[in-house]
Amino acid sequence: MAVDAITKAPPGRRVAGTMLRPPRRVRRVGARRELVAAGFFLLPFIALLALFQYFAIGLMIRNSFYTYSLLNPAEGKFSGLTNYRVMIHDPVAIQSIEVTLLFALGIVATQVPLGLALAIFLNIRRRGVQLLRSVVFLPVVTSVVVVTTMWTFIYAPSDGLANSLLHFVHLPSLLWATSDHEALPAMILMTLWEEVGFSMMLFLAGLQSIPVEFEEAAAVDGANPWQRFWRVTLPLLNRTTVLVVVVSTIFAIQAFAQAYIMTQGGPDYSTQFLVYNIYTEAFDLGDPGYASAISVVMLVIVLIITTAQMRALRGRLQE
Amino acid sequence: MSAGLTTIVGRQNIGVQVQRRRSRRAAATALYWLLTLLLFFAFLAPFVWIVSSSFKPQAYIFSDVEPLSWRTFLPTGASLTNYSSAFSTENVGTGLINSAIVSCSQVALTIVLAVPAAYALTRLRFRGRGVLFTLIFITFMVPAEVLILPLFQIASKLHVANSLPGVFLPFIASPFALFLLRQAFRDIPRELDEAALIDGAGHVRIMTSVILPNVKPALATLSLMTFLFSWNAFLWPLIVIQSPSRELIQVAIAINTVPGELPNWGPVFAGAVIAVLPVLVLFLFVQRYFIRGFVMSGLKG
Repeated sequence: MAVDAITKAPPGRRVAGTMLRPPRRVRRVGARRELVAAGFFLLPFIALLALFQYFAIGLMIRNSFYTYSLLNPAEGKFSGLTNYRVMIHDPVAIQSIEVTLLFALGIVATQVPLGLALAIFLNIRRRGVQLLRSVVFLPVVTSVVVVTTMWTFIYAPSDGLANSLLHFVHLPSLLWATSDHEALPAMILMTLWEEVGFSMMLFLAGLQSIPVEFEEAAAVDGANPWQRFWRVTLPLLNRTTVLVVVVSTIFAIQAFAQAYIMTQGGPDYSTQFLVYNIYTEAFDLGDPGYASAISVVMLVIVLIITTAQMRALRGRLQE
Repeated sequence: MSAGLTTIVGRQNIGVQVQRRRSRRAAATALYWLLTLLLFFAFLAPFVWIVSSSFKPQAYIFSDVEPLSWRTFLPTGASLTNYSSAFSTENVGTGLINSAIVSCSQVALTIVLAVPAAYALTRLRFRGRGVLFTLIFITFMVPAEVLILPLFQIASKLHVANSLPGVFLPFIASPFALFLLRQAFRDIPRELDEAALIDGAGHVRIMTSVILPNVKPALATLSLMTFLFSWNAFLWPLIVIQSPSRELIQVAIAINTVPGELPNWGPVFAGAVIAVLPVLVLFLFVQRYFIRGFVMSGLKG
């Protein structure tokens, strides 16, 4: 009996095994079929992405070592690090980096607290809240071009809506985008108006993902609303906060239409954003090699900032 | 006696408390409405001013803005002159048609490319999938604005510069689309496609008749977001298109604002209203897909 059981058991198991798994040959054919299918399914996407992202980045880095004209890129001259050397001594290029970083800082510093405040305010259940959320979100879906066009006329020193509003509350006129001190703050205000609805939506999503029990438990423990906000809600929104910071920084660094339409980088280069500077160097001043070098520097700046912020995000996530 | 007294005192206290609570609630309501009105004004006033001014002659726009009054925000002396001149002299009509062609093509091609790619990344097992995945998503970190110069060179080489396909071709392989669809595909239970596989369906069949019908909301979100990005894009269309007959709407209205000397306010306002109208209508009707899409796009970081 015992011997029988031992000799019989293995074949039984093997049978069960083959029943569960598909036969080996079929599996291998299946794997090959999957590989072929994956190739067909992915190839068009990967090919385009490789051309318009990876090849483009390579081309840009190569071009940054050349001096050439847009009309005839093939007849460029290798100039080594000249473009980069010129950049270090170019006050406009340096200022454009400073202005862009200042702009980003201004946007992040205003958008995070205001977006959060709006989200908390519009998280209550009352009549009209849904409509108000849509209204605050409206500028987000409006193109930067339309927003900047609108605000160019709002900021017009005479006949503009902004100064008319200031006079209405008995304040003196401002020069807005026509003064080198006021242009950048004016642009930050406009961008805040345009983008704050987006931060609000992200914070709202974050707030609504916090279980009600957390706040209730804190309330039972005797925490007042102020304490509940700082000790419970805000730490739980860490991830969203970093997200808002990342998104608004990247948006700010990409700013172009604002300068192109409203100020042409002025007055006195006070709104000469990086992308606008690249555009003018390449298309107005006809030096695409130099503009490529600035683009490479911009790419490096963007990568450093996003990696740092994403690392912060990951760190916070693990907490 | 003493028990009766305490209940009276207690009752008085409760009365005071209720009163206090009521007045506090009234104050909260007042504050709520005050903030609400303020926000409505702050976010709607610019739109209302532009829209109502777009129906006014230039002299009225100026005379109605100062001093600020209800006239500022109402279309006094309404006429469509600005709109007809926007269409006749400012290239707005051509821009609308070209933008519609570009945006619709971009939506269609983005989906056609991203659906099979997302299928392969979620449903097919092959060597190097992880590496490929990383290589695709790393491009998320590269803003399109950085690459305009090499893209212009590539577009010229491919003979698509100064053509409508040249506007959308560099962006139809969209990592954002792939990301969004991958999330949606992963939420569909694998049992569904395994059942179809046993019935003898191939991968194309599974993709089109098992997966796609189950990800309609994600497809709607993706279409709307792609349309919005494409419709609102500015820098690349400005560079890649030179002929006025192929100009897109955003470029058309931006160029009307720029020259600056003495811009004709009315037609520029009319152009801005026309440019934002399609997006606005879409937003009003399918808002939740938009907001979902924006929250998703935020999550990409």
